[in-house]
Amino acid sequence: MDAPHAVGGAGAVAPGKVALEVSPLPGGRSGIRARGEISALTRPSWEQALTELARRHAGVSYVELADVVFVDVAGVSALAITAMNLPGGRVVVEHPPPQLPRVLEMFWPGLDRIEVVL
Amino acid sequence: MSTVTTHEAFVHPALFYRTEQEYTRQTVSFLREGLANGEPMAVAVPGPNLELIKSGLGVDAEGILFLDMTEAGRNPGRIIPKVLRGFADAHPQGRVRIIGEPIWAGRSAVEYPACAQHEALINAAFEGRAVTILCPYDEVRLDPHVIADAKVTHPTVISGEGRESVSDAYDWQAVVDRYNQALAPTPDAAAFSYGGEDLPAVRQFALAQAMRLGLAGEQLMDVELAVAELTTNSVVHGGGRGTLTVWAEQGQLVCEVRDAGRLTDPLAGRRPPERGQLGGRGLMLVHYVADLVRVHTGDDGTTVRFYLSL
Repeated sequence: MDAPHAVGGAGAVAPGKVALEVSPLPGGRSGIRARGEISALTRPSWEQALTELARRHAGVSYVELADVVFVDVAGVSALAITAMNLPGGRVVVEHPPPQLPRVLEMFWPGLDRIEVVL
Repeated sequence: MSTVTTHEAFVHPALFYRTEQEYTRQTVSFLREGLANGEPMAVAVPGPNLELIKSGLGVDAEGILFLDMTEAGRNPGRIIPKVLRGFADAHPQGRVRIIGEPIWAGRSAVEYPACAQHEALINAAFEGRAVTILCPYDEVRLDPHVIADAKVTHPTVISGEGRESVSDAYDWQAVVDRYNQALAPTPDAAAFSYGGEDLPAVRQFALAQAMRLGLAGEQLMDVELAVAELTTNSVVHGGGRGTLTVWAEQGQLVCEVRDAGRLTDPLAGRRPPERGQLGGRGLMLVHYVADLVRVHTGDDGTTVRFYLSL
């Protein structure tokens, strides 16, 4: 999110009922599964989850997003930059909401660190 | 035609042409000069003019990037990041040479203020860069006030016969300010006032209204993404709340976000961030997906309207 508006004091982003739950993937696969929406309201938990993903990354990490209903530009940016900063390997993003491939293609065309499985 | 260039200076002449012959002669001469200098070159002009340039160049057209500006630059707000910087940044060594024709007869009265501001902001976006951008203007078919504005947004002008002169009227900031025009509220439009808790609800509202007005497919996703960026901006930087209105006019869906913020950076949304930079893509996304973006900003707040063809 850029900050084109300047006004005294930042407004409060109130999470209300919107949530993002992130949990480790069950079974033997390394990665995370998320449920909810990835937006300004849930930014801290998404970025924290990606930091954790990067810390545990070895070879291939999976990000399962079938239960994510929406992801905004900053949410895709955080994922793209996490993947770009990995020492190697790749991130497989499974069943993302449609905004994710759209934004990836717009700002990171040809980013081979991320494989999207629709 | 000869364009004087110093080493690192941005060169931004307007070309005022009256006939196809003048157009072809001057643009081809401009490109052949770049060819002789070994400069990477791109041409973004309306389709029929692309053909004039290609046939004028013959085999020399090879190696030049050609784009139809009525598509690539449909929204004038994305020409700087996507077309001009997209090409210049991909060729960081030495001078690059571009022909960009963002204003053609047929640009609507709603589009024109954004077009004029775009031409003005090119000067800020490329200040100090080794880039040459020639902007042709159809002196016969464009309104006289468009030609007058082009003399304010370009430091030099070139006549159809190839005579180059300094534009005494050059003052690009004046055009940015002049077309920062108030956008009157639209009566009877569906409206939704939101605060921080309502960001998901305002997205849903935008989607429902867009569907009701006939938008479908990928454009619905674009509306949701763009509305999310603008409304989040209101909440985080624009006073904590705002109002979204949605309506249709002239075959286009219009979404408008009003809040108490003030846009202080005229290049916001037009400066491509580094690939590894986390922020800075929100307003740019709105420019990328929309067919037109109009902005009014001042002490009383900011209004952003974006248009999508139905």
